[in-house]
Formats: sequence, C-alpha cells, structure tokens
Amino acid sequence: MPAVGQRRSRGQSALILAGAAAIVLWSAGPFLWQLSTSFQLDRALVSPTPSLIPHPFILQHFRNIFLVKHFQHYILNSSIVGLSTTLLCLGFGAMAAFALSRLRVRRRFGLLGLILSVSMFPQIAIVGPLYLLASRLGLLDTYTVLVVIYLALGLPLVIWVLFGYFQTIPEELDEAARIDGAGPFRILVRIIVPLSMPCLVTTGLLAFIAAWNEFMFALALTSTIEHQTVPVGIANFTNLYYVPWGDIAAASVVVTLPLVLLVLFFQRRIIEGLTQGAVKG
Amino acid sequence: MSRSVAVGGALRRAPLAFPILLRMRIEAAPLLLLVPTAISLGSVSVYPILDGLWLSFRNTTLATRQDRFVGWLNYRLLAGDPDFWRAWRHTLEFTAISTLAETAIGLAMALLLVEWFVGRGLVRAAMLIPWAMPTVVTSKMFGWLFDGQNGLVNWLLRSLHLISRNIDWYGSPHTALPTIIFADVWKTTPFMALLLLAGLQTIPGSLLEAARVDGANAWQSFWRVRLPMLAPVLLIAAMFRALDAFRIFDLVYVLTGGGPADSTEVLSTLTYKTLFSALEFGYGSALSTAMFATEALMALGFGILIVRSMRRQAR
Amino acid sequence: MSKKESVTAVGADALSGGRPGRRAVLGGAALAGAGLLAGGRRARAAGRTELTFASAKFFGKETVAQVVESYNASQGRVHVSYVELPPPSDSTDVHQLLVQQLARRNGSPDVFTQDVIWIAEFAGAGWALPLDQEFGAEARKNYFPGVVQACTWGGKLTALPWFIDSGMLYYRTDILGATPVPETWDELVKIAQAAEKSGRARFGFLWQGKQAEVLVCDLVEFVTSNGGAILAPDGKTVLIDEPKSVAAVQFMRDTIDRYKITPEDVLSWDEEPSRRPFTAGQAVFLRNWSYVWTIAQDPKASSVVGKVGVAPLPHFPGGKSAACLGGYQYGVNASTKNRDAAIDFVGWMSSPATQLRFATSLGLAPTRPAVFDDPALARSQPFMQRLKPVFLGATPRPVTPKYAQVTLVLQSAVSRALVDGNVKQALAGAKQRISAIVSS
Repeated sequence: MPAVGQRRSRGQSALILAGAAAIVLWSAGPFLWQLSTSFQLDRALVSPTPSLIPHPFILQHFRNIFLVKHFQHYILNSSIVGLSTTLLCLGFGAMAAFALSRLRVRRRFGLLGLILSVSMFPQIAIVGPLYLLASRLGLLDTYTVLVVIYLALGLPLVIWVLFGYFQTIPEELDEAARIDGAGPFRILVRIIVPLSMPCLVTTGLLAFIAAWNEFMFALALTSTIEHQTVPVGIANFTNLYYVPWGDIAAASVVVTLPLVLLVLFFQRRIIEGLTQGAVKG
Repeated sequence: MSRSVAVGGALRRAPLAFPILLRMRIEAAPLLLLVPTAISLGSVSVYPILDGLWLSFRNTTLATRQDRFVGWLNYRLLAGDPDFWRAWRHTLEFTAISTLAETAIGLAMALLLVEWFVGRGLVRAAMLIPWAMPTVVTSKMFGWLFDGQNGLVNWLLRSLHLISRNIDWYGSPHTALPTIIFADVWKTTPFMALLLLAGLQTIPGSLLEAARVDGANAWQSFWRVRLPMLAPVLLIAAMFRALDAFRIFDLVYVLTGGGPADSTEVLSTLTYKTLFSALEFGYGSALSTAMFATEALMALGFGILIVRSMRRQAR
Repeated sequence: MSKKESVTAVGADALSGGRPGRRAVLGGAALAGAGLLAGGRRARAAGRTELTFASAKFFGKETVAQVVESYNASQGRVHVSYVELPPPSDSTDVHQLLVQQLARRNGSPDVFTQDVIWIAEFAGAGWALPLDQEFGAEARKNYFPGVVQACTWGGKLTALPWFIDSGMLYYRTDILGATPVPETWDELVKIAQAAEKSGRARFGFLWQGKQAEVLVCDLVEFVTSNGGAILAPDGKTVLIDEPKSVAAVQFMRDTIDRYKITPEDVLSWDEEPSRRPFTAGQAVFLRNWSYVWTIAQDPKASSVVGKVGVAPLPHFPGGKSAACLGGYQYGVNASTKNRDAAIDFVGWMSSPATQLRFATSLGLAPTRPAVFDDPALARSQPFMQRLKPVFLGATPRPVTPKYAQVTLVLQSAVSRALVDGNVKQALAGAKQRISAIVSS
C-alpha cells in the first residue's frame, strides 16, 4: 500500500522501476550465473561464448554435494551455530543497549567505545591465542566455541545500532510505564522491544549472515564434519588443486536461496506489518 | 559508582515501601543488563589482546626458537619498514573508497526500496544476495568473472564494444586493487543498504507529511528531514563498515595474494604472512597492534561525529 | 549414473577424482571426531596405544582415513585417530593449523604430514623427531635421493617420504604433430610462436606467475634449468642475482613481453586459472603439476581429451631439465609420548605396499623407485609410470629453516621483476634481503 498522501509523477514512477530493475540485475546477476553454472559441466565454464542456458542440463553437481560430500551436515551445523548466535546476540545486545541508553550509566560512551574496541583487533591475531585457550578448555571442535566467538564478534554492531535506535524512542514512554510500576526489565520487553522490531530483525539478520559466512575461526577451531560449518565445507571441496566449480556453484545456490527466502518472509510478515502500525511521536 | 552506596543512599532517602525495591532494581539494573555482554566480550578478547601486546615486545620467532624481550624494537622496525607503510597506504585507500562507495550506493538503494512499488519485497530480498552468498564462493567467483582471458566481464565489455582488447584485471598493478574494491563493494553494499533501510523506515511519516504540506519537494525532504534523522544510523553503519574494510583479508588473499608486485598488499595479508608463513609472532603482534591503533583513531573520529549527530537529533 | 560408470568416467588413468564410499567417509569422520575427544586424555581403548595422525586432505577412490583404518585393523597394539586438515591447495591453512598444534609441544598430533618446504622449518623449531636411528642408511636407499635430501636437515632425517609431485610440461599432441617435443626453451618459443601465428592456439605457453608460493616453484625450474641457483647448498650464500639466475628470470619476463607467447594474465594466475585455458584447448604448452593429467582426460572438464602429452620441462643450452620437487612427507612429533607406536605407524604408511595403495587409489606418486616398476601400478596408473624419470630429476626449493621468510621475499621481488622488467635491480634487492635473513 502506498504511504499516506503520496502521489508520484509518471517520470518518478519510471525512475523507481528502472532503479529497482538495476538493483535486481546488479545484485542477482552473478547469482543467476552461479545458478546456471550449477547445472552445467565444468568444461562449459571456459567456452568462448558463455551461455546462460545450461546445455546439456545436468543434476550431477547437486547429487555430488549431497550424496558424496555430505553437504547437509555442514548446513545443519551452520544453522545451529547461526541461530544460537543470533538469538543470544539479540538478547544480550538489547539488554546492553537498553542499559546504556535508558539507565543512567556513567561514562556510557566510554563503555560503548570499549565494546567497539573488541571488533577492532584483526581476527588473524586473535585466532592463535583463542585456539590455545579453546584447546586448554577442551572446547575444540564443538558448537560452543563457535557460538561464543561469533557472539563476541557480533555484539558490538548489535549494541551500537540498537543503542542508536533506542535513543530515538522518547523517554516519556518509559516514564509512563514506570509510574504504572514496571521495572526496567518489563519496560524493555513490553515496550522497547516491540517498537524496535524492524531494527531487531535487521541486526538479527546481519548477525546470522555473519555467523553463517565466517570462515577463519571455523577453519581453525573445528576439524570434523560433525561441527564444521558451510564455508569450511565448501573450501574442502577442492582436491589437490582442482576446483570443482560446478559443485561449488551448486553449494552456493543451496546455501543462498534459503537465506533470501528467509529475508522475504521477514520483510513481508514482520517488518511491513509492524511499521504500518507503529505508533511514534 | 558503587552499587552498595547507591542502594544505601536510596534506602535512606526513600520512604519504607515497595518503591525501595524498585529503586534497588533500577540502580542494579544497568549492571545486570550489561553483565552478559561483559562476560561474552571479555572472555573472547582479554586473553588474545593481552597476549598480542605481550608478544609485540618480544622477538618470538617459532622456527628459530627465539623468544626474548626486546622492548620497543619491533615498533621501531615497523616505523622504518617500507612494506608496512605500503600496506598501510593500500589499506587506507581500500577502506576510504569502499566505505564511501558502499554508503553512497547503499543510501541510493535504501531510498528506492523505502518507496512502495509492485514487487518491492522481492527486490529487497534480491538486494541481499551479495551479502548472503558465502565469502569463499564470492572470492572465487570474482576471480573467475574478472579473469583476464576467459572472464565474463571482459566478454561482456567486448560484446558491448566498450573495450577492444581484454583487460588484465588482476595481473596489472594498476587495475588489481580497483577490481578488488569493486568486488568488495558488490558484496558489502547490502549491509549498508539494509541498515539504512531500517533507519529510513523508522522516520515518522508525520514529519515527511508535514514537510510535504509545507511545499518541500523530494530533494528538500531528503536533505532537511530524512538525512538528519538518518545521520546517527548512517554514521554508525559507516563506522562499522570502515572498521571491517580496514581488516579486509579473504578477498585479497584469494584473488591476488597481495600481488602483483605487492600492489594489493594490505595490512591483514601482511600480518597473516608474518604470523603464519614466517612464524614471526613478535613482529606480527606489533603489526596487529599498529592496525588496532589506526582503527582506534578512525573509531574516535567517527565516534565524535556520531555523538554530535545524536545530540543534534535530540534537540 | 551408477558407481561403476562414475569411476570409469573420470578417465582411463584416474590419478585423482572419483567418489569415496559414503559409509567410509562417515566412518572416518566419526572416528576422527571420537579420536579428537579421546586423544587429549589419552584414553586407552581396549589396551591399545592411542595415536593422533593429522594430515592434509586427499581423496580419490579412497580416502586417507580408509588407509589409516586398514592399519588399525591390521594389528592390535596401536589405534590411530585421523584428523583431517584442509586440502593442500590451501597450504597456508594447513601450515597454520599444524603450527598451532605443534607449537603447544604437548605431543599432539603424534604423527603429521608436512609439505616438503616445511621440513627444514619444523626441524629448526624442534617439532620433528629425528628418525635416523629407526631408518638408517639401508632403509634410506629405497627412496628417491632427491626426496631423502629434502627430508634431511642439519644432517638428521626429520621426515619420512610419503608421495612425490613435480612440475612438468604438458603439450598438445595434435598441434605439435610430427614436431619433436622441445628440449630447450628456444625450441619451445619457436613452436609456440608458430602455433599462435597460424591461429591454431591463442596462447603459446602458460605458467604460474601469481605472487604466491607457486611462483617460486616456477622460478626454481627456470633458474635450475640454466645451471643457476637461488641459494647455495651451504644455505648461506645467495645466488639469485648471479648472471645465470638473472638470465632465467629475464626469460620468464620475455615470454610475456618479447616473445609474446604468454599472456600478461599469468601474473595473477596460479594452478587452476592457468590450467583452465589449456584444457579448454586454447594453449599449446602448460607448465603445471601432475594433477592436470586426470582432468585433461575427463570429458566433463576438458575439451582436449586424448590430445595431451607430458614431458620433462625444457632447459637452457648447457643446462639440464629441472622439475620443482613437491609432495607431502610424514613427520613424527618430537614431543610425542608414544614414540615406538608412532614409528611403527609411520613405517607402515611408508612401506611399499601402502605406497602402492596410495598410488593406485589416491593418485599420489610413490617415493620408492621400486614401486614404480610394480605391474599393479602399470595396470592402473600407466601415466604415473612414465613420470619416473621426471621425478628422478626433481629439484628442491632452497633448504633452510627460514624458508618461509625467504619465499616471501622471492615472491615479492620476482613479481616485481616480471611486472616492471627491472630484473637485475629486483633480484639484487632480493639478494640483500635474503642474505640478511639467512645469516642472522
């Protein structure tokens, strides 16, 4: 439904649709090429005239990744780690952002800066010591070690963005609730969170994708198919030097499509539904 | 602030009733709400950061079993190391260009996607594809797309008669870094676009309506109403993007390995080679500390802008 | 496609590729997982000594895990848990993971595999156990001398040979026709230029010039084939800026710049990007490792099936053909708590029977000359048999514990020389820096 009071000229509409088409072409173009490659023979990759229509059309690559390389295990591992990380990130992040925004915490920008500094250290420098720590605690090759690390990597962004957003929510709402006898926790859960749904969904999505795609720590800290995630699985498709391009394309299609559908679902159902009904001053 | 002092003060001042408990809960609340974050961040960062700082003052090299305290030697060597400064320049160049491009393109995308049109949901979902694709695949894919001889990009450009001869994207020092920047922009713009879209969606419709009634056109409405309200989110997103861009590793390592002729060497690849190829943990730790210091300066700059924009918004 | 069809479809001489049994991979993975849990606590399963074996990932008709399982099944004293590291194409990842584990010096993993260029480095760091006592001069005679040399550091044998690989020249039999295979670089240039001019090929000669380890492999081949060297055998004298070495690097640059038989894109190409145009039928000559053969014969990946030949690389006048030595070798952890068990395991893995199995099932060439003459190998890998003379002439890269730093300097200097053409200047700079590294 169009926003209230919006009327567009023909020119503006044409511009918008052209822009939308450009976005789709730019973003999805290479992915469509991947899709096409996943149904073609590896040999077709170097043909003088590339063709988007697979010719011949083969399903071998999809069969390979599931039956031979057991890609489903990697997907399961990534899903578990990604989901746990996202939920914990949103939970801890919302609490921390709320505390920093609402309650009178001294030197809160100093604290925010401290939180930020965790994401300023180059990951390569952290991998070694964390490996040592994890091995001493017996946490190598577990879901736990990945979730703990991804949580720490994702929290700064979630906290900062939510903080920025909570600052725009007027404090009168809090006051009203407090007069009714609500404690900080209830204010957070009953009032702030529902108002911040678009923001929460967005940062949650970003945190999930970050955990889904992380490679360096997953490679260093997991070593068996029981716990390895999708990026490590794809990297292991290579044998000696040969890069099985069709298999990799098939894997990337299998991995990207559900994420896109997830976004579609969240966009339609949650964000749009809530912004329609949002009540803000 | 000591929690017990606060509680004691509250107890003395407040009348005896359930508001005391409320005050206690309110005073204690910030700590309780921050504790999970503190534990989570602390457990992952304290040991590695301290260990890194410690190592940067030693000449630890695993292959030769060297391990002595050397004071500031590593940092002095770093200051005089042309490889370090070259990588530093490349990294700053990469960070500045990619962050600016991603912010500009991301903003344009967000402005378009906040308007209603048929199929908007699908376009929003499609926009996210570059960010959702696994990095290991994106790197190899761009390596192949821009392959000098058989890549799709050269084929397209020649078919459209925009170039007459193949361009050696990754093999020439002039085009290698720009090509990597292009790949990063493609991959990471959705990150900015998504955050900016969320920011735009939460601007109250009443403000825009008021501006429209006052006779503002699209550009004025953007510049006077939307942009100021978007400023904090935009600056926060740009800050995180810049800090991430500074630490770029995968794309560069897979596509060019830092070459040709060191033209794409960035600080992360240099540090990786020093730490894990040459096993010079002392010098490598000094490198990472230098990276950290530069990033801290960047964050400080952004932080000041963010605080100012938030104060302006509150007015 | 049935399993039988899929195996034969990979090509008559399957050096690699093929599909490992699903149960076996799951079994191996489960065992590896269990082994990791158990390894740290030295759990004793039915009174057997527990060992951990970490290896880079290889597979073919079988996996390394399955070979390890056969060892476990063949005796009751030792049980080996297999830990899989990334494939050797990500060799820096393998190196990183190995270093992380070995630096802890707690005996895990007991046995590991090391790329031939890491042997001196791990020996210098004190991570590899010297094996001279258990594998004396008699035992060592059964391996290729070049490999044994690469496995020795400071007079001690710190690695046991596993498999060998080297660079070689691939060529198009249909384009060459009756022309004999070039033995000198000049001959190669002439053939390549003629083919380009007649339009039968887009490129004359493809090699790897990306600023990565593979550049040093190519460099060693060009330089040694001119009688030059990078580092003298004493490990301290740098010879990269001697006239013969400079001439070799100049030739590398000339293939792009002067003779125009190589596209400038090689400066960003490693193994795969340089292999693809060749198997697509666009080039006459290719320098690459042995893995290309199987792919060239696979109709699903290659357009030149049956039109490819292999030969030793050419040399300069007065020089000899040189092939860069590659391959992974076994190492025993110096801090291992199960020395006898580890020696037993590593001896079994390096035995003629197991080497034959690695050759026939995983396409990894044996390091024992005798295994090459085995009729079983002739039946399943006839191509590999023909490589024996190539492997006999394999040259190692500079042997020094500081090789990791040396190679980074070489990569940077040679890449620069190839890009801007100031060969002498770049190599002189390299000599300065390398001298500083190896003499400190």
